[in-house]
Amino acid sequence: MSIKLESNTPEGPIEQKWDSHRFSMKLVNPANKRKYQVIVVGTGLAGASASASLAELGYNVKTFCIHDTPRRAHSIAAQGGINAAKNYPNDGDSIFRLFYDTVKGGDFRAREANVYRLAQISNLIIDQCVAQGVPFAREYGGLLDNRSFGGAQVSRTFYARGQTGQQLLLGAYSAMMRQVGLGKVKLFPRREMLDLVVVNGQARGITVRNLTTGEIESHAADAVLLATGGYGNVYFLSTNAMKSNVTAAWRCHKKGAAFANPCFTQIHPTCIPRSGDYQSKLTLMSESLRNDGRVWVPKNKGDSRPPQQIPEEDRDYYLERIYPSFGNLVPRDVASRQAKFRVDEGRGVGPTGEAVYLDFADSIRRLGQKAIEAKYGNLFQMYEKITGENPYEVPMRIFPAVHYTMGGLWVDYNLQSTIPGLHVLGEANFSDHGANRLGASALMQGLADGYFVIPYTLGNYLASQDLPKIDTDHSAFQESQNQVRARLDQFFSINGSKTADEFHRELGQLMWEYVGMSRTAEGLTQAQEKIAKVREEFWQNLKMTGQKDYRNDELEKAGRVADFLELGELMAKDGFDRKESCGGHFREDYQTPENEALRDDQNFCHVGAYEYLGQENNKITWQRHHEELSFEYVKLSTRSYK
Amino acid sequence: MTAKTSYLTSTIGQKQVVALSGLSLSLFVLAHMMGNLLIFVSPQAYNMYGHALVSTPLIYVAEAGLVLFFALHVFLAIRLTWLNRGARPQAYAVSAKGEKATHFVQKTLLAQGLVILVFVILHLITFKYGKVYWVTYDGVTVRDLHRLIIEVFSQPGYLTWYLVALVVLGLHLSHGVSSALQTFGAAHPQLTPLLKKIGLGYALIVSLGFISLPIYVYFIY
Amino acid sequence: MAGTTGKTLNLKLRIWRQSGPDKEGSFVDYEAKNISTDASFLEMLDVINVELVKKGEDPIEFDHDCREGICGSCSMVINGSPHGPDRGTATCQLHMRRFQDGQTVVVEPFRAKAFPLVKDLAVDRSSFDRIIQSGGYISVNTGNAPDANSLPVPKENADMAFAAATCIGCGACVAACKNASASLFVSAKLAHLALLPQGQAERDQRTLKMVAQMDEEGFGACTNTGACSAACPKEISLENIARMNRDYAKATLKDRKTSV
Repeated sequence: MSIKLESNTPEGPIEQKWDSHRFSMKLVNPANKRKYQVIVVGTGLAGASASASLAELGYNVKTFCIHDTPRRAHSIAAQGGINAAKNYPNDGDSIFRLFYDTVKGGDFRAREANVYRLAQISNLIIDQCVAQGVPFAREYGGLLDNRSFGGAQVSRTFYARGQTGQQLLLGAYSAMMRQVGLGKVKLFPRREMLDLVVVNGQARGITVRNLTTGEIESHAADAVLLATGGYGNVYFLSTNAMKSNVTAAWRCHKKGAAFANPCFTQIHPTCIPRSGDYQSKLTLMSESLRNDGRVWVPKNKGDSRPPQQIPEEDRDYYLERIYPSFGNLVPRDVASRQAKFRVDEGRGVGPTGEAVYLDFADSIRRLGQKAIEAKYGNLFQMYEKITGENPYEVPMRIFPAVHYTMGGLWVDYNLQSTIPGLHVLGEANFSDHGANRLGASALMQGLADGYFVIPYTLGNYLASQDLPKIDTDHSAFQESQNQVRARLDQFFSINGSKTADEFHRELGQLMWEYVGMSRTAEGLTQAQEKIAKVREEFWQNLKMTGQKDYRNDELEKAGRVADFLELGELMAKDGFDRKESCGGHFREDYQTPENEALRDDQNFCHVGAYEYLGQENNKITWQRHHEELSFEYVKLSTRSYK
Repeated sequence: MTAKTSYLTSTIGQKQVVALSGLSLSLFVLAHMMGNLLIFVSPQAYNMYGHALVSTPLIYVAEAGLVLFFALHVFLAIRLTWLNRGARPQAYAVSAKGEKATHFVQKTLLAQGLVILVFVILHLITFKYGKVYWVTYDGVTVRDLHRLIIEVFSQPGYLTWYLVALVVLGLHLSHGVSSALQTFGAAHPQLTPLLKKIGLGYALIVSLGFISLPIYVYFIY
Repeated sequence: MAGTTGKTLNLKLRIWRQSGPDKEGSFVDYEAKNISTDASFLEMLDVINVELVKKGEDPIEFDHDCREGICGSCSMVINGSPHGPDRGTATCQLHMRRFQDGQTVVVEPFRAKAFPLVKDLAVDRSSFDRIIQSGGYISVNTGNAPDANSLPVPKENADMAFAAATCIGCGACVAACKNASASLFVSAKLAHLALLPQGQAERDQRTLKMVAQMDEEGFGACTNTGACSAACPKEISLENIARMNRDYAKATLKDRKTSV
C-alpha cells in the first residue's frame, strides 16, 4: 500500500480558486443532511466551530472532548489575537498582503492556495465572531481596535486584551452548545480517542475510552473530523496544556494517514524561563509584549550585576542591533534562535543563565506605567504570580519554549487526510503555516477550517462517496476495541518501576537537546537511536497503578507518552531528512555566514509526509513522500528582516 | 430539555419577594422607631401618637399588610435556606479565613430571623396585647402605653433581652437592606459601595433609635 | 527539588480521598518534603503523586490542564478557600512561596450537590454546560453575520462585557458560596451578552431560560454575601448578579409564557 499526496488544489488564478471550487463541489440536498452522521474529535476553535457549523447545516454531529467540558480546550489559552485582512486601520493591508506575509513568514513551505484561502476567509471570521458576541477590544468610537503583532508591519490583529483565545473559544463553544440544546450535536465529554476505525478504506468511526468510567466505546459515522491540536508536549515542557497530546492523530497515522513536516516546531521566544526539576509546564508571555519591551543581554559574559545596575553602554539590545528595520519584532523563529545564541555565548541572565531580559523601562518612561498596565496588566500580573518579581520594576526574564507545531497530519485542499473521510482541522493538520507560524494566525486557521472550509468540503465528500450503512456491530469496531483493550492491559502487565512522567521527561530532554531550536545531522541521528532506547525501556519498565475501569490519570498519561515516544523518533528522522534550514527547523550545517537559515529550494521546496509502514520489535519504519510546492504568486526569496 | 420558568418557584423570584417584604418591614421598623422617640418629647405625646394610630381604620390594612409581609418574609426565607442547605449536602471540613471568608452576619441570617420572630411575638404579647392602663388628656381617654413601657423596661431581664434582640435586628438589617437592593438589581460601580454604607447606616440608626428608649427609661427616667 | 531561589519548605497535607461518588471518603495525611517555594501548588501535588505511584498506590486525582489560570479545570478548596488564599488566582497559579514551612494544609474538593464528586479532588461540573446550552449564546448561524464594524459598541460596554466574559467556568463561585449558588457564573454569562447590542434580541428569553436551568440543576439561591466574587480567579463583579436580578424581573413582566 502506498499513498499518494494529491493536493487537489483547484485550477485557475489564486484569487478565484476557492470561489470556483465552492461552485464545482457537490452539495448535499438539505433534506439528506440529517441522514449523515459526522464525528468531530476535539472542541478547541476548530472542533467547536466545525461542530456548530455542521449542525447548523443539518448534519448529525457527535462531538468528543477529553476535558470535563468542551470549553477547556487549549485554544482557551491563546493570548495575543487573531489576524484578518479587514484593513480597518487603512494602513495598506489587503487579502494579498496577509497571504504574502503568511507564505513568507512560513519560509515558503506552505501551499499557496491554502494560504490564500485562509487570508480570504479571515474577514468572515471576524464578522462571525462579533455577531456571536465576542467582546473584541474597541476604540472610543465603538469600532474595533487593531494592533500590530508578531512582526507584521500593518495593524491587522483583533484582540480581547490578553485573552483572545478564550473569548473566541467561548464564542465557538456557545454556538456549539446551542446546537447541543437543539439536539443536533451530541456531546461526549471526557472521552479520549484511542483508535480510528477504517472500513473499506474509509474512515467510519472511532474507539474512545470514557475517562471517567473507563469504558471502551465505539462510535460509527459517515466521516471523522479530527481537531485534536498540536503535539508540542512531545518536549515534555512546552506552553501546551498538560493534556495536549498526539494520540488521536498518531492513531490515525498508524491507520494510514500521512504525517507531514513533523520536524516543524515553533519555539516561542517570550516564555517564562524554567525554574526547577519539578516544573510541569512553561508559561507563555504574549508576543505582544515585544511591541513595547526591549530585549537585551549584558555585553560582558558572566555580568552578574542586577539588571538595573547595568549601564546602557554595557547592554546589548541584540535584536535591534542585528535587525535594525524589524528590531524586537522579528518573527518568532528568528527571535528564539537569537536568544539561544546569546545563552550559548554565556551571556544569558538569571539564576540558570538560560534567559534574556525583556525590559519595559523605556516604554514606562515614555508612555507612563498606566498605559503599560492598560495594555499588558494581566500579563504583568501573571508574570509576578509565577516568578514573584515585579516586572514594572525589574526587567522580565524570558526564554524560548516550545509553543506550536506546524507539522501534523497531511491534508489536501479539502482538509482530507490520506484516509478518505478522515478530515483534519486546525493545529492537528500541517497545512497553512509552512515552516513557521506568524503570531495571531493559529486562531485564524482553526476558525477558518471549522467555520468556513469544512462545511463546504465535507459536503462534497459525503455527496460524492458511496457510504454503505455501517454501525458499531461491524467487525472492524470489535477488532479496534480489542486492540485498544489489549494495549491498556499491556500497560498494567509491565510492572516496572518508572512512571510515565519520568519517561516523558527523558524524552523531552532528548527532544529539546537534539530536535530543539538548533539541530545537527549528528544530533538528529543520535536522537533517533536514543529515543528508540527510551521507548524500549518504556515497554519493559513502566510503573502503572490505579484502576483500569475508572478514572485513572496515570493510565491516560502512559498511553500518550507511548505515542510521543514514537512521534519523537519521526520528528528527529524528518529533521535529519530535511537537509536545509527553514523557519522553525534550523540546521547548523545549513546556515549563512551570518547565522541565518539557509533554505535549499532546489531539493526541499516540498512537504515531507511520512507513511507508517510498520513496526518490528522496537524498530519502526516509515516511508517519506513529497508533495512539491510551487510558488507562483509569492516569489521564492530569502527572508530578510534586516 | 428546557427547564420550566415560573417566577415564584425560581430562586430569584423568591429572593425578590423576600427582599420586597424585607424592605417594607425595614421601613416599618424605621417608622416605629421614630414613633418611639416621641417618648423624649413627653408621655402625652407618646400616648397620643399611639392613640392616633389605633383610631384610624387604616390600621387594619396596615396590620394586615405587615402580617402578610412578615409571613412571606419568614416563610420564603426558611424555604430558601432549606433549599440552600440542600445545595451543599456535605459541608467543608475547614472554613475560609481572611478576605475570602463569609462574614458571620451573613452566615447566621436565619438564626437572626428566628430570634427576631420570637422577639416580635413576645413584643406583641407584652405591649399590644399586654396590660392596659388608661390615661385622660383634655377629656380624651387613651391607653397609657408610656406607663407600661416604664414598668417593663425597669426590669433588668427584659431590658437585656430587648437589647440583644435589637442588636440582632441591627445585624439583620445591616446585611438585609443593601442585599435587598442588590436583589432588585441596584448595582453600579460607584453606587454599590455606597449602597453598602446606606444599609449599614440604616441598620445603625434603627437599632440605636430603638435602643435609646429602654436605656433612657432604665438609666435616666 | 530546589528552584531558582533555592528555598524549600515542608508541609503537612490533609487531602480528601474518595475513590468514587458512591464510596466513603476521608482525609488522608501526607508529608510534602523539600518543596521548592518556586513550585506551583499543583506541581507540589505532582511530587506527592510520583511518590505514591512509585509505592504502587493510587495517585491523588485532580483536574488540571493549562496550568496558567485560564482553562478553569482546578477544583480544589485549600484551607477552606477555593483556589487557596490569594485573590484573583487559580490553584495552578498559586505558588508555594505563599505558604509557611511546617504549615498544615487541608485540601478538599469543591462541594455542591450540582457538582457531584468523581474521584478525590475531581468533580463533575457539567451542570454549567447545561446552563449554557439552555440559552447562553447568540443565535447566529455561521455565515449570517454582517460586517463586524456595522454595529458600533460603546467602549465602556465592550469593556464591561469583556470583564464579565473572562469567567473561566471553574465553579469556585459555587464552591465558595455558603448556599452553593451559581449566580455569579450565570450572571457573568448573561451580562456578557446583555451588555452587547448583538445580545438584545434574545435577552429576556436567555435570562429566563438560564435562570430556570440554574435552579433545575440544584444550585442554591444568592444571599449577596460576595464570597463568590472574592473567590473568583477573574474577580468577576457582583454587579453582574444585580443585573441578572433586574433583568429577570423585567423579563418575567414582559414574558407572556411565564407562569407566576
